[in-house]
Amino acid sequence: MMAEDLVIQLINELLVPLFRFLLQPYIFVPLIYPGLLVVIVVIIFILWLERKIAGKVQLRYGPLYVSKRFGGIIQLIADLLRYLFAEVLVPKGADRFIFIFGPVLLFTSALLPLSTIPVGPNYAAITSELSLLISLSLLTIPPMFVLAMSWASNNKFSFIGGLREGYLMMAYEISLFLSILPMVILFKSLSFIEIIEGQTALWGIVLNPLAAIAFFITMLYATSKYPYEIAEADTEVVCGPYTEYSGILYGLSMGYAYIKTYALSLIFALIFLGGWNPILWPASLPPIWFGYSIPSDILLPGLMVFIKALIVMAFSVFLRTVYPRYRIDQAIKIGWHNLFTLSIVSVIISVLIVMLKSVI
Amino acid sequence: MSTEKLLEVFIGPQHPTSGHMRFIAELDGDIIVDFIPDMGWVHRTIEKIAETKTYIQIIPLIERQAILDSANYNLGYILALEKLLDIEAPPRAQYLRTLICEINRIASHLYGIGIHGIMLGSSTAFMWAFGDREPFIDLMQMISGARLTYSYMIPGGIRRDIPHDFQDKAKKAIKFMRKKIKDYFDLFNYNPVTLNRLEGVGIIKKEDAIKLGLVGPNLRASGVYYDVRKAEPYAAYPEIDFEIAGRNEGDSLARLLIRFDEIQYSMNIIERVLDDMPSGPLLTNIYLTKLTGEKKELLKKGIVRFPTLFTALKTKEGECLARVESSRGEAIYHLISNGLLKPYRCRLITSSFRNVIAFKHALIGHKLADIPAVYGSLDYFPPEADR
Repeated sequence: MMAEDLVIQLINELLVPLFRFLLQPYIFVPLIYPGLLVVIVVIIFILWLERKIAGKVQLRYGPLYVSKRFGGIIQLIADLLRYLFAEVLVPKGADRFIFIFGPVLLFTSALLPLSTIPVGPNYAAITSELSLLISLSLLTIPPMFVLAMSWASNNKFSFIGGLREGYLMMAYEISLFLSILPMVILFKSLSFIEIIEGQTALWGIVLNPLAAIAFFITMLYATSKYPYEIAEADTEVVCGPYTEYSGILYGLSMGYAYIKTYALSLIFALIFLGGWNPILWPASLPPIWFGYSIPSDILLPGLMVFIKALIVMAFSVFLRTVYPRYRIDQAIKIGWHNLFTLSIVSVIISVLIVMLKSVI
Repeated sequence: MSTEKLLEVFIGPQHPTSGHMRFIAELDGDIIVDFIPDMGWVHRTIEKIAETKTYIQIIPLIERQAILDSANYNLGYILALEKLLDIEAPPRAQYLRTLICEINRIASHLYGIGIHGIMLGSSTAFMWAFGDREPFIDLMQMISGARLTYSYMIPGGIRRDIPHDFQDKAKKAIKFMRKKIKDYFDLFNYNPVTLNRLEGVGIIKKEDAIKLGLVGPNLRASGVYYDVRKAEPYAAYPEIDFEIAGRNEGDSLARLLIRFDEIQYSMNIIERVLDDMPSGPLLTNIYLTKLTGEKKELLKKGIVRFPTLFTALKTKEGECLARVESSRGEAIYHLISNGLLKPYRCRLITSSFRNVIAFKHALIGHKLADIPAVYGSLDYFPPEADR
């Protein structure tokens, strides 16, 4: 009897408050999904997937050595451990403070946009009218740390890589905002949840495919995926801004690109792929804990968005096997000429659709 | 004033693309103002070591200047030595020499294509090319027992006959490669990004190519259809009807595509060699008569053991010059003998050594990012140039 009482008391006094605490949206979203915890799992999974896809195309195995039975899926955990225990070298001429704190701030600031992303229709950390705008604005912060890191490294290749990052940022940033504008015009809102509610019948990608293409290309630019893997082009500038980094500091800067891919893929899934639509489940399924229905408020819509985002990510990493990389001046030219025009055209298409709707 | 504006970048020798060498690039913004290929990092004094070895010991030494292309470099030395010894290999040996040189040319070009691919960022082209080298390396292994350094040719002949199932294996490999080349064109060569990166980049005009003294595919891509195999035929080349590849654009793309052309022409040569292969001895008659006992028995199985005379091979006094078309271009051998066991001088001029000057010419005025694009297209191999 005593033992059972103790267990019940333990559950009541420890686990219940813990769950209540964790289930609050502004804790759950940044910390668990889509935040930190899932980010680490995603980085491990997507890196494995990238190498596995590349292996498939290139007629080889890909990672296999660690956990052979499961296709080497925990290879990345081994790599992570290696990064963790490798010595962090700070070059002599480097600005120590910025050199060490750059990657840390880079990684943390890359996580910020994730907190604005809603998990389900009734579950979001930030229920702002401007959540889409906030998340995109937060996405523009980390490149500044890349620039700072490249300058602090005191290395010519880092310097050139940092300059490249800066030039590329100029080339894609305007198109990034312009390519979400069509969706904003179509659904007359800057809030994720309202845009997703507008996509119950037709997804954004069907309504305005040009905007989706423009956003996807800017996503490749922003996350330095092939063919726009230019700032870190190893055959040209060794590792670009991260040339002098080693150990966990390099691990953090490498993780940054993948967090950004993840964040942009989630945004792509939300505004172009209908978010959690179609809703195939009843409104409030049990168990209902602390005011939230776990399956229908968090689990199912979250999973729906997550799977869509994973498909987008998988496609963006698959491009590595298809394309070589552009030259920096070509990429900037494509950014300003073609991508900019494409996003302007997609805005015009959206305006026309809205005008047609009002006429009908 | 102007010097302060420039950024001097040292690329290599510890740079992912530099290979065993260093480039010193002067950049004005992103534009290359001056470009110095600083070579000699893998100089192994092959010429000097050759002066301390007997003529037979030099064979494995001399092919190590370019292990990707060891058959061609092996043959060049043997041709020079045969001129000094006044002997000539029998027809079957000549055909087999041609065969192994062409297989080696394909493997070497695939290596260059793969490296070019990874320099542009296409890891798929890199992996495919290195994977597709395997069938040809396996063929070489079937003949000589080694994957890279064959030491297959000896004065007056070759070391071993081809195995009986070689023809089928070779035809299979050729069939596979012909099918696979289409994939390269779809994925890599005519990829819009590759075209953007290579078209019009690093142009070497016809007159400049002649003036700079370029050799091999890099010369032929600039519109000079010069090939030692045609100009001064050796081995079985005079008896075989074959084409040489040529393009007129002279840019990096032409230099990439010409390697694919050469792979196709080499496969044609291999087929013709296999069809027309004469039967007969593997070693010249002078040495054949010296083989006795067990060595004579082994000869029937197609295995040539060195006659004892090889341990003290002496040539007549004099000097001679031999040229071969290695996969990266013309290679020249100059042997000077004073009638002793060891050569007095063994001078080598390799193709990469003659092509290195192209960097300085082709890259000035281009962007920093064009360095790997042009480097890969020149198929420059530092150990070959440094010797």
